[in-house]
Formats: sequence, structure tokens, C-alpha cells
Amino acid sequence: MSWAVVAVLAAGVWAQRLLGMFVGGRVLSRQPALGRLATLIPAAVVMAVVVQLTIASGTSLEVDARVIGMAVAGVLVWRRSPFVVVVVAAAVATALVRLL
Amino acid sequence: MVLADSMLMGETTATGDHSVAGPGWGDLGALCLTFFALGVTVNVLVLDRVGSESLTIVAAVAINSATTELAYLAVRDAGGTQLAAVIAGWVVASRFGLLAVSLGARLDVGRWHRAAAGLQSFDPNVTWAIQQRRAADVVRVFWRATAAMHLGWLSGIAVGVFLGNVIGDAERFGLDAVFPAALLAIIGNLLRRRSGALAAAVGGGLCLLLIPVAPAGIPIIASLAGAIVALATTPPEETT
Repeated sequence: MSWAVVAVLAAGVWAQRLLGMFVGGRVLSRQPALGRLATLIPAAVVMAVVVQLTIASGTSLEVDARVIGMAVAGVLVWRRSPFVVVVVAAAVATALVRLL
Repeated sequence: MVLADSMLMGETTATGDHSVAGPGWGDLGALCLTFFALGVTVNVLVLDRVGSESLTIVAAVAINSATTELAYLAVRDAGGTQLAAVIAGWVVASRFGLLAVSLGARLDVGRWHRAAAGLQSFDPNVTWAIQQRRAADVVRVFWRATAAMHLGWLSGIAVGVFLGNVIGDAERFGLDAVFPAALLAIIGNLLRRRSGALAAAVGGGLCLLLIPVAPAGIPIIASLAGAIVALATTPPEETT
């Protein structure tokens, strides 16, 4: 990675965020029929990120200690446990599985 | 932005609105720790590949997307060209554009404020913010979460770059599970609605199916279909 690559990557990321904010955001706010997408997009996209971080290794699927950690997190989220409890329990469960 | 507020209210029921209380100080502290862990683990990896402390720090701050850095390095490690690696980095960052769309629909602020918020669109701060009913609360929750994230991220960069060799393998401590667990907790309230659960199930399922067959970043973009399916198949006046 060079300084030029950092600049190009940063420009692309900045552009997408600004485009989303100024173009996509205004379209959603003016179209009542599409308004619910404002809450549905994070549900879909963030869950996809969770899946990717839990079970992917590059472009392959890999079931390892992270899955146990996330199962613990899932149960705690379901039981409405505090945020910090979910995060710490997931890390501890994952670390313990790796110790075994 | 009254329209946007009423649209969110459209998801409410006779049993009460679905707007949730903003994150408390304990939640913000945990978010800060989450981004600290992320900052340490990512920047230890990046420094290992890049070899320059200054470039690692500038990349982390300027690109402002750990997944973009990791995607670029993964393609280069696999023998890909500079162009292919840059495109992969941009594609995986597309989710921030999508999150900025959501935030943009709920923000009632001036142009420069919108630009600043757009550039700081991440999963936790946007997801927490858009669950607020009042426009003023959207702004307040967004910037509080953003501050907590950056405090953790920036200190994580410093520790990862300058003390990374002391820490060793961060995965030993389960730190790689911290970020996905935090994200799951943050969308927890959205998952309690039928529409949110459907969006997440379809989006997450599509991502799972596409990971082995699609280039990096595409599974995340495809997850947008989950939101569209949920929009088309669930009524606005749904119950949880």
C-alpha cells in the first residue's frame, strides 16, 4: 500500500458516503412509500456484515470459535442483556473455545 | 424532515412506538471498547503488511474504513493487481454508502452538517441514530456514538501500531468476536419487528450463500435485497 493508494481508496470511500447522504438520503426522505427502507437497510446490511465476520474467511466459509461466540451473543441479545455484557461474553466464549 | 419522522412513526402500533431510548453511557463505553479492539486488531495486521507506522496511521484515519483496508490487502496478498485491489476496497465500503442513505433520510440539518455526518456513517452510529423518533435525538445519538467510536478507534490505532508486537495474537483473546457481537446487539431492536427480522434473515442468508461464489464485497451489497423484500412484503402497521 502506497500513499497514492491510500488517497485513491479514501476518495472512493468518501464519495460513496457523500453520495448516499446527499442523493440516496434525499430520495428516501421525499418518497413516503420508500421511507421504511431507512430502518430496513441497516437491519439487512448490518446482519450481512455480522454473517461475514462470523463465518467467512476471505471468500470461503469457515466454522470456528467465532460461531460459538456469536451464538452466545445471539442468546444474550434475545434476552435483552446489556450491550457490554453481549460484547464481553462473545469475546470470552470465543477465547475459551480457542483454549480448548 | 417531519415526513421522515412520520414514516418512522408508520412502523408504530397501537401498543406503542418502536423508537428506542438512545444508548446510555455504559453502552457508549462498550462501543468505545469495541472500536478499541477493532483498532488494535486491524492495525496490527495492516502494519505487518505495509511496514510503515506513518502510512498505517494515515491510512486508518483517511480511509476511515477498516474493511476497505483489509479487502485491498487481501487482494494484493492473493496476487491481484493494484486496480483489482482498489476496486475490492471500494466495493466493500459500499455498505457505508447504504447506511448514509438511511441516515440521510432522517437527518434534518444543514448541508455541511450533512456532509460531516455522511463521512462518519458507520454501522453502530447510524443504526442507533435511525431508531430514534425525534429528529433532534437522531442527531444527538449519532454524534455521541460517533465520538465513542472514534475515541476507541484512534486509541486502538495507536496501541496496534506502537504496541502490537507486545500484544501478539489478538484473536487469542477473542477480540475478533467483539465487533460482530456489538453489531448484533445494536440491531437487536430492529430484529424484534417482523419487517426488520425479515430484512435481516434475507440479507444475512443471501450473504451466506454468496460468500463462497462472489467477489469480496458483493455479498454485502446483495444483502440490500433483504430490505427491499421486507419493504414489499410487510405492512407498515405491523406488530412485533
